[in-house]
Amino acid sequence: MRSITKVCTAAVAVLALSVTATACGSGDSGSGGGGSDKTTITFWDNNGGVRTPIYQELIKRFEKANPTIHVEYVGIPIASVQQKYDTAIAGGETPDVGGVSASYLANLTGQQALEPADDWLAKSPANGKLLDSMLASVKQTAPDGKLYVVPATSNLDVIWYQKDKLSAAGVEAPKTWDEFFAAADKLTKAPDQYGWTIRGGAGSIFQLLAEAYAYSGVTEFFDSAGKSTVNDPKNVELVTKIAALFKKDTPEADVTNDFPKMVAQFTSGKVAMMHHNLGSYNDHVKAFGADKVDAYPLPVGQSGKRTVVANPVDGFSVFKNSKNKDAAWKFVDFLVSKESNSYWNQQAGQIPANKDAQADSWVSERPYLKSAVEVLADPATVVVSPPYYLPQYSSITKADTEPLFQKVLLGQMKPQEFLDTMAQKLTEAQAEWKQSHS
Amino acid sequence: MATQVIARTPAHARIGAAPGSRKKDPGRVLRLYVPLALYLAFTLIPFYWMIVFALRPAGSTTPIPWPITFEHFDTVWNDIGYAVFFKNSVIVGVLALFSTTVIALMGGYALARFRFRGRTAFMVALLCTQFIPGAMMLIPLFTIFKGLGLINSLWSLVVADTVFNLPLSIILMSGFVAAVPFQVEEAAMVDGCTRMRAFFAVVLPQLRPGLIAVGSFAFIHTWNNFLFALMFISRQDNFTIPVGLSYTIGEYSADFGALAAGGVVAAIPVVCVFAVIQRYLVHGISAGAVKG
Repeated sequence: MRSITKVCTAAVAVLALSVTATACGSGDSGSGGGGSDKTTITFWDNNGGVRTPIYQELIKRFEKANPTIHVEYVGIPIASVQQKYDTAIAGGETPDVGGVSASYLANLTGQQALEPADDWLAKSPANGKLLDSMLASVKQTAPDGKLYVVPATSNLDVIWYQKDKLSAAGVEAPKTWDEFFAAADKLTKAPDQYGWTIRGGAGSIFQLLAEAYAYSGVTEFFDSAGKSTVNDPKNVELVTKIAALFKKDTPEADVTNDFPKMVAQFTSGKVAMMHHNLGSYNDHVKAFGADKVDAYPLPVGQSGKRTVVANPVDGFSVFKNSKNKDAAWKFVDFLVSKESNSYWNQQAGQIPANKDAQADSWVSERPYLKSAVEVLADPATVVVSPPYYLPQYSSITKADTEPLFQKVLLGQMKPQEFLDTMAQKLTEAQAEWKQSHS
Repeated sequence: MATQVIARTPAHARIGAAPGSRKKDPGRVLRLYVPLALYLAFTLIPFYWMIVFALRPAGSTTPIPWPITFEHFDTVWNDIGYAVFFKNSVIVGVLALFSTTVIALMGGYALARFRFRGRTAFMVALLCTQFIPGAMMLIPLFTIFKGLGLINSLWSLVVADTVFNLPLSIILMSGFVAAVPFQVEEAAMVDGCTRMRAFFAVVLPQLRPGLIAVGSFAFIHTWNNFLFALMFISRQDNFTIPVGLSYTIGEYSADFGALAAGGVVAAIPVVCVFAVIQRYLVHGISAGAVKG
């Protein structure tokens, strides 16, 4: 009895202390280095966790070179970054600098949260050093054609493969789709080994479209009349062929495969080839070792044209609410400089946006990366830009159509009907967007 | 003869309830142990896999974690920052536990002991608040906390989690208080106690299962809350365990070893809490649920 009374008294005391402490301690998030002369800027990493050590090193270097600026790093988990930005914008508590991907850039520019970078770039040492294709890709996403994200990295869809499994089966890395389908079949020894894995769960549509456009050689997402090309007959053909691989040359569980499950299957050694992008390089190296795994670009279709669906460019934005814009731009300058950009991309295994960084030796030392850079630099390569600028693009290619692709895999829907549905939604969204921007 | 034998067999033996006859009843194995074993396998296999992934080296595919490595625990604790996140989660969890329990005790007592206008409507309103998802309240709460200077402070999590814990906790607690006969309290007051003294001396000791049930629910809910921890905090040193856990899945990479090790670290306090309180909890939930 007494002990309970004591516990209650202690609880009340703790609460009282809490209230007092609350009154005293509040979260100062802005600038001012605690009374010192330092300017503090906040930086939100849009892929916090995996890349935290890379940024910690870069921030250390930046602060050494700029002793009057302190960068406060905040890692935001990738799955929630859009919601975090939305909440921060609504509450007026945005960071000074943030990592932003073109995939949700339209959402941020729609809320007028970002500062255009065009004027800064004109005066920056980075002017002329960043890849034109990446700059164009970012500008295309903004409704006013301005540069709201300073590109830092890009990616390319590739097919990762286990070298020993391919050589044991006497299979060369496929260059055409016919070779690819033959290889997937030859590498399958179910249920111990499968030649291929399909991403049937979250994120399936982007990969499927990358495969479809690589196969069909269609170079635009919309034709001149504004009609989506997603349901082009050649795209339908590819989706039909991919769906036919399900359960034959792929595990049955693929129907719910999201990215982590797909990578887990591949790194467990059960799957010989997997479509993903360059970004999962570190996971494969960790699982197999650098000499056991390699990648080849998506094969070329019958048209002979290499068409590549552009991955969303990732980079840095300065937010409109920033009270220390000069320091913020200085930090962006540093991040896209040759040394920093090279270091970041070397660690992440991706394509640097800085042209000088692309010439660094580590790029040519990694065959998969060298071929990716060559594909993108090849004048014959046609880059198909998905309409990231459409506000509905994310919902159409995720919530609306991912379950439909699962139906296709399970034989409950025809590929033609699936792509027709997606094409209709995209065509409507495009018409709406054009109308509001005319 | 046969009829006589059956008639003499005790009823508890026929239904297999007598302790002495348990071993002799093969039906019992099918009815009780097989379903229990299946259920345990269903619930424990994911835990087993979590432990296997946490303890085996990266790239290993063996179903048994051998050779054992603690590198994933080192990664989550030191590299990802679990040392800090764990401390923050404990602070927020314990404070939310205390604040929820104390306020729920007061609210529950009022609802159980006093008849006032709007009491039923208040109970219904409390229940209705359970239907509002936390995500809907994010921006209003963010604005309020910003005005109070609580953004980036652990206190924002304590306050928000307490507020979201309270409706269910108050309803549960009112059930526990109602289960204690008012006559006992009256008797204490007749003996000279004030209402407050009677509450502390007579009612509170009997509410121990209720306090433990409400406190443990509050702690576990707060411990697992990812949404508030990410949205109200924008400072690396103030994040909590669920945010740390989500760091292990990146945009293009997933560290399953670290994810599993982080899951083990996150689960340990919850498992410990349940192990200590489970005997109170079962009694507490049934008492609070039935008597209202």
